[in-house]
Order: sequence, then C-alpha cells, then structure tokens
Amino acid sequence: MEMMLYGVLVVALMMTIVKRFSALVTAFAVQSFLLFLLIFIEAVKSGSIQLYVVAGLILIMKVIAIPAFLGRIVKKIKTSEELGLFVNTALSILIAVALVGISYYFIGNFLPSMEKESKTALVISLSVTLIGAFIMILRMKALAQVVGLLIMENGIFLAGASITDGVPFFVEMAVSFDVFVAVIILGVFVYRINSLFTHIDADKLNELKG
Amino acid sequence: MEIILLLITLLIAGVLSFFAKKTKHSGLITLWGQILAAFFALLLCFKITAAGPVTLLNFFYADALSAFFLFLISISAVSSAFYSKWYFKDEENTGFYNALFNLFVFSMYLVVTVNNLGMLWVSVEITTLASAFLVGYRNNKTSVEAAWKYIIICSVGITLALFGIILLSYTATADAGIKSLNWTELNAGKNILNPMVVKAAFIFIVVGFGTKAGLAPMHNWLPDAHSQAPSPISALLSGVLLKASIYAIIRFLIIAAGSVGFSFCGNILGLFGLISLGIAAFFILVQKDLKRLLAYSSVEHIGLISVGFYFGGKIGIFGALFHSLNHAMAKGLMFFSSGNIIKKYGTNNINQIKGALETVPLAATAAFIGMFALAGMPPFSIFMSEFAILMSGFKGGYYYSASAVLLFLAITFGALIYQFGGMLYGKKPANLEKTKEPLDIAVFFGVIIVVMLIFGLHLPEFVNTIISNAVDVVMGAGS
Repeated sequence: MEMMLYGVLVVALMMTIVKRFSALVTAFAVQSFLLFLLIFIEAVKSGSIQLYVVAGLILIMKVIAIPAFLGRIVKKIKTSEELGLFVNTALSILIAVALVGISYYFIGNFLPSMEKESKTALVISLSVTLIGAFIMILRMKALAQVVGLLIMENGIFLAGASITDGVPFFVEMAVSFDVFVAVIILGVFVYRINSLFTHIDADKLNELKG
Repeated sequence: MEIILLLITLLIAGVLSFFAKKTKHSGLITLWGQILAAFFALLLCFKITAAGPVTLLNFFYADALSAFFLFLISISAVSSAFYSKWYFKDEENTGFYNALFNLFVFSMYLVVTVNNLGMLWVSVEITTLASAFLVGYRNNKTSVEAAWKYIIICSVGITLALFGIILLSYTATADAGIKSLNWTELNAGKNILNPMVVKAAFIFIVVGFGTKAGLAPMHNWLPDAHSQAPSPISALLSGVLLKASIYAIIRFLIIAAGSVGFSFCGNILGLFGLISLGIAAFFILVQKDLKRLLAYSSVEHIGLISVGFYFGGKIGIFGALFHSLNHAMAKGLMFFSSGNIIKKYGTNNINQIKGALETVPLAATAAFIGMFALAGMPPFSIFMSEFAILMSGFKGGYYYSASAVLLFLAITFGALIYQFGGMLYGKKPANLEKTKEPLDIAVFFGVIIVVMLIFGLHLPEFVNTIISNAVDVVMGAGS
C-alpha cells in the first residue's frame, strides 16, 4: 500500500518534467493504474463488490478511455506535441518538491491528531492535487490544462479512498461520470479553439480582459 | 413528490425543445416548461412553509433554506425563459440552446434539493457543464475563450471544494461515526466533529464554491463568461448560478458553524466579500464594456451577500438572503434591457453606445430605472437589503468593515450613474433610427420594476415568511 502511494507521488513529480504531451498522458495513465491497483487490493481484502466496481471504472475510464481520447485529439488536430513550458524542467521539479513540502506543513499543522498512515496518504494526495494545479498554470497548451485537471482529480480521489471509509458509492459513481463528461466537453472546446485560432496555446487566449 | 415532478418537467421540456423544428415552438416549450416547473417549485415552497422539511427516497431533502432558493430560481428561470424566447426569435436551430437552457435550470433546482453533500458537489459541477456550451454559444473567438476559462477555472475551484468535502467526511466517520454524507445526519452530529479538520475543510469549501460564486480574487472567469454568453444566459448566470454556489456554501456554513463557531466562518466570508466589493468598485469605474460592467456589479453584490453573513445576526443574514433575491431581479432587468440596447447598437462598447433613450426608448428607460434599483436607491428593494446588511454591521460593532462597505457602495453608485448616463443620454449615432419595441417586452420590464418596488416598500407576508424561515435554518433554530 505504502509503495503504491509513493508510486503515485513519484509519477506526479515525473509529470512536471516531461516536455511532450504523449509522455504526460502516459504518465497519467500509469498514475491511474496505480490508483486502480490500490482500490483493487482493497477490494480483494474486503470482498466488497462496490469497490470492485469502482476499480473497474478507474481501469476503463482513466487508464484506457480518457488517455485514448486525448491521444486521438492530438492526432486529429495535428498540433505539435510540445507542452510549452513556462518554467524549465529544473525549476519545475523544484517547485513541485516545494508543493510537497507545503502539503506536509499544512496537513501537519491543521490535522495533528490524525493517524500516521492517513496523514501520509493525505499529504500525498494534496501534493498530487497541487502538482495538477501547477501543470494547469505553467504549461501553455490547452490540452495540458485538461490533463492537469485530471491529475488534480486523481489526487482528490486518492484522498477520498485512503482517509475515509470510502465516499458513498453512488457519489463515487457520479463524480467519475462528471469527470468523464467534463473531459469530453473540454475536448470539444479544444477542437473549437484549434479551428478558430489555429493553435491551442491557452496562454494566447487573452483577448478578454479588464 | 413535487420535487420529482419539477425535475421531470424540466427534463421533458429539454428533450421536446431539442426536437422542436421551429424556433418559435422551441422557445414556447422552454417557457411553458419553466412556468410549470416554477409552479411545482412554489407548491413545494408552500408545503415546506406549512409542514416543515420534505424528504424523499433518502436522496432529496428540502427545508426552508431550500424553499427560499427554489423561490429565487423559479422567478429568475421564468423571466429568463420569457426574454430568451424573444431574444432568439430571429435565429434558427435553437433546439440545442433551449435543451441546454432547460438542463441548466434543472441542475440548479437539483443543487438546492439534494441531501447528500457529495451529490450537491456533483450538481454544482453539472451546472458548469450544462452552461459551458451556453457561454460558448456564439462560437467565435471571444466566446470560446470565455467558455474555456469558465470550465477550467470553475472545475479547479470545485475540485478544491471536493477536497474540503472529503476532509469533512473524514472527521464525520472518524470522530462522529457518521457513515453517510447526508446533510441531515452531518448537521445532527455537527457538535462532535473535530474542529481543526472542520476549519481546514471549510477553507477549501469556501475557496472552491467561492470560485463558482464569483467571489474575488477567484472571480476571473465571471466577467468573461457573463459578457460572452447570450443576454438571457447572462441573467441566469448572475441571478441564480452564483446564488446556487452561495447556497452550497451556506449548507456547509451551517455545519461548520455548529462545530467551530459562527465567527470563524463569518470572518472568512467577510474577507472575501470585502475584497470583492473593492475590486468590483474599481473595475466598474474604469469599465469599457457594458456587459462586463454588469458582471463586475455581480461580483460586488455577491461580495455584499457574503459580508451579510460576516456581520451575521438575524438581520444580517436576512439582509444577505433578501439581497440574493433582489439582486437576481435587478440584474435580470439590467441584462434584459441592456441586451436590447446591445442588439440595437451591435456592440458592447460603452463609448460607442450613445443616446439609447432616443433609439430604444423602452429598453433604455428600463435600464435607467434598473440602474437606480441596482445601485441601491430607495424605494427599490435592493436599498432595503443593503440597509439591513449595513445596519447589522454597525449594530454588531464592525465599524471599519461597515464603513468600507458604505464607501465601496458609494463609489459603485457614482460609477453606475456616470457610465449609464453616457450611454442613455448623449447624441445618438446618425445612422440609427428609433425602433418600435413590442408591447409584451414593455409589460415584462414593467412587471419586474413593479415587483422590485413592492418588495422595497412592503415585503409581502409570504416572501417574508420564506426568508425568515430560511434565516432560522441558517441560525440553527429551524431544521
């Protein structure tokens, strides 16, 4: 279990240094696969059918469907694979490590009474969430923002799975469905942005201001 | 039962309007769907007022607080549907638009009637997803940019809120042994939650839902989305979408206040509220785009509503809720009348709109009156709610904050008059002729103005009861 948690964090850190979109999507798929394993092991241990369903959902949607969908968009709009880094990789990883530090400090200060295991999980999930936000802000491409959002959601999912007895089942289903729909809608808008602007650089979407 | 009927009505209206071939039919289906839905919503309001909270299938829960928001949504939705039918009368293929309109309103009714806090989160996310294509409806560069920022910023915000909900769920299971995320159960056990965790959770929740509510400094999506959406949608966004997020914050506030005290929660809301008021006052003063100006005015009013919760007390909360209602009506009127002016001039640019009173006299008159109502001029109802909020501030000893609010309101008042003065008066462009405006729109504007006057002069007993009961729920006396 611990191994898997640290694995999720390591993958998140790796995401901050990749330069190509396909690498980012692969990293996301790997991270989601680790989440799937986490839930699957939990499901085998407890024998709960609901957990099997949740694990299956992750496998189908986050490991297979969403990465495939994102890969298809990149192929269709024939954009360059570069993510467009605002800060170079060395600085990116430093910032990411700082974010982990901030999460550690925040959780330690606000929730001192929590058991050690939950605390580790919570620090990691908050770090992953913040790293997702970091990727959304400091990568130019609109598609990178979509993946950043998905990474944030993975972080939140990890928190839900590891520190509570499991968020109620139907809520879990609804949240997954919501994320799926959000990705599809965002995908449609990526197409629209590409056809209207002939690029997908989110930082150049700056006509509206003031 | 009413809840089910209400939601099914909207879904059916959505499907029918999607398949309606003619623009006219599609608009009519939406309008009548909204009227029928509003009827069920009001029926539910009466039921709750008479017999207390309604629960259904352990999934829906509607108490007096929900009743107030049902009332608010139904008013805004019907008026927007009426205006939307008129606004889109010359366009074709509006089936998609109307279907999303109904789905959007559906999701907002869902927000205020679900019991489970996880489902509350899901419903708020559905409001974003349903309205994304409405914001980007024009499918040009600026509207797609606005829609993109809207989904991205709101989704990030709401993701942080989910983290807060999970923290709350953690302390609920670990400290209080509550397995579900139902609001009713959490509310019953709020005294035994871990205060430290609740504090952390509440911060995440306010930042998260506050993004969607348009509280500064997380408001960046709001002016873009409001200015690029078609006018009826701008009115819905401003009038109810922002309030639906405020509703979500209030639900959590009730639980958090029971655990860590009202003042902690109030202070956070007050901080964001004051920042919103300040930023909005500045941007209204220097604004060059009519719809962005109205959007910043929404930031201001949302700020004022949160400040109402900061000042607290029965009067402050009453003022904040009453203000939500008044703002929805006044801002609706402003977006509708400005929509007509913008249609006539073909631009949102304040510098290019001159002499609107000559070219579109009816809409311009409505905008003129609406401007005073929005700025908080007596005897319009916004004056009453602003007065209540300020009074509770001074009474509660928040002299500095209340004075700051007063200052910001004065700046906004002046800025609104300055900005609209230029647009309504002045010399009209030579190439624009006077438009003959249809009677039904004139009556429509008139009705909104009269209702605002009545609410300002003497609040009807029914509305007063609904708001007072909602205040009791927030204070913890009801439910």
